[in-house]
Amino acid sequence: MPDNWSFVAAAYALTAAVLFAYWRRLAKKEREVTMRERSNANRSRPTADRSRLTAERSGSTAERSGLSAERSQEPSRTGHPRPDPDSRHSLQ
Amino acid sequence: MVKTLGWLTALALVVGLLMAFVVAPREVTQGNVQRIMYVHVPLILASYVAFVVLAIASILYLVRRDPAADRLAHASGEVGVVFVGLGIATGSIWGKPTWGTWWTWDARLTSVAILFVMYLGYLLLRGTIDDPERAARYCAVLGIVAALDIPLVHFSVYWWRTLHQPPSLMKPGGFTGSASILWPLLVNLLGFVLLYAYFVARRVRLLRAEAEAVP
Repeated sequence: MPDNWSFVAAAYALTAAVLFAYWRRLAKKEREVTMRERSNANRSRPTADRSRLTAERSGSTAERSGLSAERSQEPSRTGHPRPDPDSRHSLQ
Repeated sequence: MVKTLGWLTALALVVGLLMAFVVAPREVTQGNVQRIMYVHVPLILASYVAFVVLAIASILYLVRRDPAADRLAHASGEVGVVFVGLGIATGSIWGKPTWGTWWTWDARLTSVAILFVMYLGYLLLRGTIDDPERAARYCAVLGIVAALDIPLVHFSVYWWRTLHQPPSLMKPGGFTGSASILWPLLVNLLGFVLLYAYFVARRVRLLRAEAEAVP
């Protein structure tokens, strides 16, 4: 019987190619998962920073509103006393 | 651990390849084309291992509802499908010069084709169900049922008249060939079983990472 080396080469080459492709696929998926984990970690860090900034800003807004509340009690720059909001009448 | 397993696998496969082409003699009736056996038989036997592991992990999942058992079953099924698919392909390549045909519907080939399709269906079923718990439960049942085909594949050459030769290794009375054929076959079998374990270890690790990444 002839040796049919081409069939032997085809069987071994096909096996090597498919197994190598599967190994590459696993490696690619692992890289993707690692990248996703890293990007998630990076995204969560700026979110924390942002929330801290928002908290600071809301604090300063509260301060400002407190200031304006104080100011409303004070006379205006022109010297006229500010009317009490409760004493205002709606427009007829 | 996985890296060490990878290097061991590579070493076993290289030694096995050398033994298949250097140590193993040219077969008297078939000639050198018989060297396909050193890749075809280990691939099929490693796929049997994969599907038995899948069935055991599926039973464990149904009993304990442990996601780790489901991940092992999933990984084992995927690697098993790759191995059995390659086993069918290399068998077909071996069949053309020795039988004169790429494929024939004899009992061994048909039963192994059914095995391949069932486990392909197993992987497709996983992909079609969105709820992971339900997918794991259905696949565990299918994995156990599909494993019943393994003895049918193995004993088909005894139960029916087939073109396929009887088993080389796992047969009553053991291996009857010479040691120069047996040792390359055993080393290649070790290499492919290690390769199966290496792929499964990496796939399980990947499945765990994917499960943890899902919010």
